[in-house]
Amino acid sequence: MGERFGQRLGVIALHVVVISGALLTVAPIVFMIYSSFKTTTEIFTLPPWLPPAEWSFKNYETLLTGWAYPYWYINSIIYAAVVTIFVLFFCSLAGFAFAKYYFRGKNLLFIMLIGSTMIPFQLILIPLFILMSRIDWVNHPASMIVPWMAPAFGIFLMRQYIQAVPSELMESARIDGASEFRIYAQIIVPLVRPGLTTLAILTFLGSWNSFIWPLMVLRGNRVITLPVGIATMRSQATASQIPYGEMMAAATLVSVPVILLFLMLQRYFISGLTIGAVKG
Amino acid sequence: MVQAAMTRGREARAGGGFQQHKLAPYAFISPFYVLFAFFFLAPSVIALVLSLFRWDGINDPRFVLGRNYGRLLSDKVFAQAATNTAVYAIASLFIVIPLALVLAVLLNAKSLRFSNVWRAMYFTPVVTSTVAISLVFQILYNQDTGLLNAPLIYLGLEPIYWLGDRSWVKVAIIILIAWRSTGLLTIYFLAGLQSIPEELYEAASIDGASMLQKFFRITIPMLRPIILFVSIIVLLSSIQIFDEIHILTNGSGGPANASMSVVQYLYERGYTRLRLGFASAVGTVLFATVFILSLLQLQWYGVFRKED
Repeated sequence: MGERFGQRLGVIALHVVVISGALLTVAPIVFMIYSSFKTTTEIFTLPPWLPPAEWSFKNYETLLTGWAYPYWYINSIIYAAVVTIFVLFFCSLAGFAFAKYYFRGKNLLFIMLIGSTMIPFQLILIPLFILMSRIDWVNHPASMIVPWMAPAFGIFLMRQYIQAVPSELMESARIDGASEFRIYAQIIVPLVRPGLTTLAILTFLGSWNSFIWPLMVLRGNRVITLPVGIATMRSQATASQIPYGEMMAAATLVSVPVILLFLMLQRYFISGLTIGAVKG
Repeated sequence: MVQAAMTRGREARAGGGFQQHKLAPYAFISPFYVLFAFFFLAPSVIALVLSLFRWDGINDPRFVLGRNYGRLLSDKVFAQAATNTAVYAIASLFIVIPLALVLAVLLNAKSLRFSNVWRAMYFTPVVTSTVAISLVFQILYNQDTGLLNAPLIYLGLEPIYWLGDRSWVKVAIIILIAWRSTGLLTIYFLAGLQSIPEELYEAASIDGASMLQKFFRITIPMLRPIILFVSIIVLLSSIQIFDEIHILTNGSGGPANASMSVVQYLYERGYTRLRLGFASAVGTVLFATVFILSLLQLQWYGVFRKED
């Protein structure tokens, strides 16, 4: 009886700890959404966890009409979408080659590939920026797309997925006279859709949330991306007139769609993150 | 292994002996290597060379040999930035990783109901824009009316000057790092927990082991490879930290450089002040540090082992 009671107590404690932690984790996001409907004075009124007294869309209105916010949004979508399309193509193609072919120098090339994933790009930030200005790509969309079109991580990810495709399928297509590229396009690609979805999510998200690179290479109010734009809302305001409500509306519009997308596609997202950890 | 590779090679060749078959893989991998050479290798070489020069991007570069490195190593702000970055790394290793590990074990408990709901809640920070959430935290850290000071004010205590105090600013940043990365690390640990055979726990239960004993004698030892993997990821990402600090401190790394990270230092010297040669030297020093850490990670991946 006593032991049963102790177990019950343990289960209750487990739930209390897990749920309060979960609430604490989403609290800043809830605060952000609430604040986007509040006036600046109301945002700073205690206690901060209260919902807005009146759900006003004024911040959103000002954001969309008084700022270049729609441009930032469209720019972010275009950069992320274009880079994702190239990444899917180049990474699946290279992943296919590493998974299904035996060629000279493969091991060395693969070590180079993996090696490059370990070096954070911040380390070549300055020289890459110099390179961009030399080829006149500063403030040009190409700087947000071309250098990031074939990330090594994506190739590694696609290789893991393509390795699982049975080679016999390829062999029989080859006997039928299919070209190597047709084997890729008609046999491999349809079979690794989950892998491509995973890679698409991770790439889109990476581009969408990237900050330091667009901060450096993009100038001009109508070329910059969402994170850079939101940061300038803060940095360009005088201390007494920081548009907190509009900033929170901007922050809500940049993160909530992504969070919803994540909730729908959670499975793919998590498999993409853990594929490197649970090594094959 | 060689034997296996040869047999496999023969099989592959037997399928179709066209020339195309031999050249296709090179064509397929070439986009990566072309982009890599142009946008990664070339800049790396430029950085290495440039680190020996003094250059503002406008006038002619001047060769100064190792003077950039000498000045870097005696620079107080760099020492401060390196120390701060080390503090963030250590906090991530010894606070965030244990937190994520415990959280993973709790989320993995069979008696937990609606586990998927809680998991999704813990994972949301992973996908949330860093810039957006850093602005939110900036408001939360507000001295007089921030959420984090509300309980202190309620209890009649002095509110904490989160972003204006040399020590508290680091705590503020560590809290934000913990908020952002605990969920991500939990994902790794949960994947690791799935691979521990259930029988181990059952056997331990029969022997009368307590929960804590099971955690320290089974879970931790079985998760050792994942813990190592996660530690290296955390170290690498700590070295790269920029976005959170840049936003929280309005780009200053302040007060008085007390929160500045190495990447922020690099950005400030190289991009804001256009000391390109000097910033390249900073990059090279970072490169060397990361290179050593990367070798450790490669070893974990088993790349240096002969068998796959």
